[in-house]
Amino acid sequence: MTTASGQSARPVLACGEVRTCLLPSFQPLDGRAAAQLLRLRADEQVRVSERPNLYALSPEVLTGIDCRLPTSNGAKVRAVGTVAARAALTEGRVLQATAHFSAPAAGPDLRRPWGDYLVRPGLVESFGKLPEQAAAEGALRGGGRGELDLGMIAEGLLAQLLRHPLLDHKAPFKSRRTHLRWAARRVPPGEAPSLERFTLAEDGLRTVELKVPEDTPTAAVAGLCEDLALHDWLLTTVVHMLDNSRLGAADGPSAVLALRPAVDHLLHLWMPRAHVDRTLGHLWDVLEREPGFTRQWRNLVQRIRDQLAVQAIPLLHQALSTR
Amino acid sequence: MRDTVFRETTAEPRTQSVPLSHLSLELGHLYMEDFEAGPGRLREHFAEVRIWVDAARASAARRTGGKRPRISTCFLIDDYFTRFSTPAELVPVVLAEAEKAGLVIDYLARESGCAVADRIELAESVMHRLVESPPPGSYGSRPPVSQTGWLANGQRTPATRSALSDAKAWVPPQETAARNHSVFMDAELWSEKDGRRLWSCPFLAAVWQLARLGLLRHLGEPVLTPRPWDGAGFPPDWDRLPPLLQLNPAATPFSAYRTCTLMPNRFLAVEDAVRLILDQVDVDSGALKQVAERSAREGAEVPAAVAQRATYVFYEEPTNSLTTEGT
Amino acid sequence: MLIFAASDKGGTGRSVTSANLAYHRALAGDDVCYLDFDFGSPTATAVFDVPDARQAAEDRGLHAYLIGEVSEPVRVDVWADTEHHVLRNRPSGSGRLVLMPGDLSGGEFATTDDNLHRCVDLLLRLNSEFDVIVVDLSAGRSYAVDMVLEATSQRELSGVDARWLVFHRWTRQHVAAAAGLVYGKRGIVAGGVARGHDEDTLRGAIRFVRAAVPDPESALWSQVSATQSAWMRACDRDLKQLASTLGIGYSQVLGSVPLEPVLQWREQLITDEDVLDSQIATMETWRALSDLAGRLTDDKYWEQA
Repeated sequence: MTTASGQSARPVLACGEVRTCLLPSFQPLDGRAAAQLLRLRADEQVRVSERPNLYALSPEVLTGIDCRLPTSNGAKVRAVGTVAARAALTEGRVLQATAHFSAPAAGPDLRRPWGDYLVRPGLVESFGKLPEQAAAEGALRGGGRGELDLGMIAEGLLAQLLRHPLLDHKAPFKSRRTHLRWAARRVPPGEAPSLERFTLAEDGLRTVELKVPEDTPTAAVAGLCEDLALHDWLLTTVVHMLDNSRLGAADGPSAVLALRPAVDHLLHLWMPRAHVDRTLGHLWDVLEREPGFTRQWRNLVQRIRDQLAVQAIPLLHQALSTR
Repeated sequence: MRDTVFRETTAEPRTQSVPLSHLSLELGHLYMEDFEAGPGRLREHFAEVRIWVDAARASAARRTGGKRPRISTCFLIDDYFTRFSTPAELVPVVLAEAEKAGLVIDYLARESGCAVADRIELAESVMHRLVESPPPGSYGSRPPVSQTGWLANGQRTPATRSALSDAKAWVPPQETAARNHSVFMDAELWSEKDGRRLWSCPFLAAVWQLARLGLLRHLGEPVLTPRPWDGAGFPPDWDRLPPLLQLNPAATPFSAYRTCTLMPNRFLAVEDAVRLILDQVDVDSGALKQVAERSAREGAEVPAAVAQRATYVFYEEPTNSLTTEGT
Repeated sequence: MLIFAASDKGGTGRSVTSANLAYHRALAGDDVCYLDFDFGSPTATAVFDVPDARQAAEDRGLHAYLIGEVSEPVRVDVWADTEHHVLRNRPSGSGRLVLMPGDLSGGEFATTDDNLHRCVDLLLRLNSEFDVIVVDLSAGRSYAVDMVLEATSQRELSGVDARWLVFHRWTRQHVAAAAGLVYGKRGIVAGGVARGHDEDTLRGAIRFVRAAVPDPESALWSQVSATQSAWMRACDRDLKQLASTLGIGYSQVLGSVPLEPVLQWREQLITDEDVLDSQIATMETWRALSDLAGRLTDDKYWEQA
């Protein structure tokens, strides 16, 4: 039988892409509505957490692929299997879609019956040997025409969710999506996981390189990267908002008006590693040391609060003088 | 590592397990026209089936390494496509004829239970779990020739362009897993009539196979669970008959690691379509894992692919039936 | 806010004028996206002077996106990628100005549900990101017009404001053609209603822009003879009468753009430098464009007559 041969093949690489955006609805969704939105399948439950913040995670759905993998050295590697995609909603406000897959070191030179791939969800097998390094770099660079496009799969899921009747498309402010691509090389069990590199590129693209022990589930790695993407999006969005408010240049009340949505919708969302697998949470530390994500966030929050306080002084003054 | 102190039940998915036999043996999958032909037809059917039942039991025993295998038998009556007679009239006849052939029917199911059972839309749920086999060149876009309501084992002939464009030569369809030559198949999953969806026979049969393989769940809970029979009569209305009834209190569990289905050879095409569907269903991974682990522990490891777990015996139909047959 | 730019005929300056409106909104601080839905004859890369993008969009533009070949159409950051020496210096306080070009190779194509879904997805997505989205549609009752009429009739887009600008030249034929495009038997209103749009709402969201209008009072014509001048005034009056009879009279007009050689011949954005330094464009044109841009979102100009 051909079926059992690839069963135990250990994955050597996991790759994914997260897209993060503001949920386009006037009000944030509560837990029940969040579960309704993320119910991608009628027969499978949405996971909902209320502590330490409201977080909902959809079941995973699969997309079949049979195409070339992007590689940094131009090696042509055909791969077949399924890419898993899932969506998460944080505090009913920030929506994320992730597409990810794992790949073993090698696969058969023939395509197996499709049912053999389906019983190993989220696994993509190369024909022959997988050029690990080139494939990891290729995944971070993104696919060319006809090559595996994780972004397209994540985007497809996001688009499907955005068509949900629960959403009114009256978001309280305009914001950009960010894309975070990640690649995790597998290391033997027992070795410590590490975050090798976090790159901020143009056009909202971020890339993350990781080393993760084999026994850490890919879903846990995806969860860590979603957490990184969420907080990076928060920084990106609030920085843009401060830029646009033209603090100092614009007259006070209009700057305040521009910053109001941050206070209403974003400032309470900062909570690194709230839902990250316990074995991976400490990978945040390196980013906290440099550049210091939380340090920057605190600074932004302080600026916004100061601005609001300054604007309140004339009002206070007015109130006192008219008494 | 320290255990977590805090837990949230809604944050932790769970899949309840179901009891499992070694083999689920189906003694018949009959349509109303088969019953219309009278008890003689049933008698012929069971006499033939009896022979293959013994073979199937022997085969199962070989797989358990000499241990006595747990085998449960079942029988499916179509009440979905056509309605005929009542359970009160029909079921006792079926049971009597089976008994005459020396067969015991452990579980009795109605076909419409594969569409909706206990107000859970099983067929709909399975449809949402279809993941089409990607033809070469699928890089993450939606399959370009995806046709709602149909499922194929390869790429269809592209639709002809407008009459104005230059005449194109016919492009043959192609089976994705073809070895040298294609055997292309395209199965209809449902049709719409008056705004109502009518599931196709192969699709409901695929749901039926998944139920027998213990792979169906709804929000982590088992579905189409057998209801015990009180031993009294059967109801006068099909809708009042439980979707799955356990007739034999001593029977081994309904679901099993493998299934074997005994049926007349005219169902060959239908069951080939069932395999096509099973090969493209992304079944509940929790359930899948439970079955794999338990079968391995018992030394009766299941094939990885779900479709491989279903076997069939197609036998020649009794000749007298051909005259009444329209299929 | 979605702004659809339509015209019955070519030569109305639809593309170049709507591009200028996008530019003015960005100058005023809005994040603006300009979509080239002029399938078959994409011109926006020339208008914004981003020649490199023309190559980039060869097979990854809006057309390739709509037929499902790429997950996202190419985006061009006009401030960063333009070769126009004035545009390259992004003024402080300005918003983003992004161009989504059409493909060089893409012609018209058949409507399928998939294309429509992608169109809806794209508009939803851009709406969450940009303050103003200008969609330049190919002339006439084109496929592009049908597609956006269909897309905006979908439930998903019901919460998104959409407005239509219909460009026409100030001649008898163009006035009649513009009225036909909107109110004719196969017009935008009829087509929209057939797709489930509310007639009054759709009518209320359509305004006309008179392009290449010679202003008899302008200095340009100060040298003409008295007879010529009288004739011009008479023609202008007759045209106003005709427009009013056809239902595209004053209350339906968002604004006029003067006859401006720079718009007609150069087909590029008019910058403040063109007006102030080299003075090849007139202040009237600059002001007309600026007013029009402001009125796009000024509800006062969009109240029901």
